[in-house]
Amino acid sequence: MLPTYCPSCKSELKVKCLKCESCQTEVSGSYDLPVLSLISESEQQFILRFIKNSGSLKEMATELKLSYPTVRNMLNDIIQKIESYEKK
Amino acid sequence: MKKNEFWGLLINPYTRLAGWQAFALGIVFILLTGIVGTFANVYFDGAIDIHFAEKATFKNSFNFLGIDILSVFLALSIAGIFISKNFRLIDILGTITLAKAPFLLFAIASLLTKSPGAEQIIKNPLLIFSSASFVIVMLLSIPIIIWYIILLYNAFKTSTGAKGNQVVIAFIISLLMAEIISKSLIIYLI
Repeated sequence: MLPTYCPSCKSELKVKCLKCESCQTEVSGSYDLPVLSLISESEQQFILRFIKNSGSLKEMATELKLSYPTVRNMLNDIIQKIESYEKK
Repeated sequence: MKKNEFWGLLINPYTRLAGWQAFALGIVFILLTGIVGTFANVYFDGAIDIHFAEKATFKNSFNFLGIDILSVFLALSIAGIFISKNFRLIDILGTITLAKAPFLLFAIASLLTKSPGAEQIIKNPLLIFSSASFVIVMLLSIPIIIWYIILLYNAFKTSTGAKGNQVVIAFIISLLMAEIISKSLIIYLI
């Protein structure tokens, strides 16, 4: 799991350096982490599952053995979280 | 199934069951409650009411249960529109129908006891203490109604996906509205 918050002060981390494994070139700067990397691992798994199920909450509910509104509420929570990150 | 999970499902089965599935299971419980309730001379006449009758009939039992479900459905659906962006009416209908399941326990318990009869109790309220089993059944109604209200609250919360104090306030108001609607319908229709 990619670290996204500073272990010392809990601030959001930035990407400082990216490296090409092929030619060893390093690109430095201060880049924002993708919004999806800021959500928890289980939430990322949920998003992946959602995409793999072609966005069908019904199929997700069957797969996870949960009810449709429970799965929809989980998705709503993630949407809310992503929206709050985007506002920052 | 873990012990905690089992108790969790008893008060909130809606994480696993909602929509048409919950409605189908709920209808089974309603049918059984209506049948057993009629034999036990018990009416569930109102959103959260239980009353003993002199001689219950199947027609009245099911009319009362139907009105009960309809009034709670109407009240919670209207409340849901105010506090939730997106929810399915079938989830509200299914979950509230299933929430009625604890009343089957009361109907069964009533079947096993001998009640003095509603009219006799009105004439002499002390008659309720004449039978120990009747007193136990009356006391049983308290946890059953509490269980029903918890189920109903979780049904509303899961179906609408709403959070915070607004869910609690909307639920209390809609439960009172459901009681008023059900009593009004019973007066006008039956």
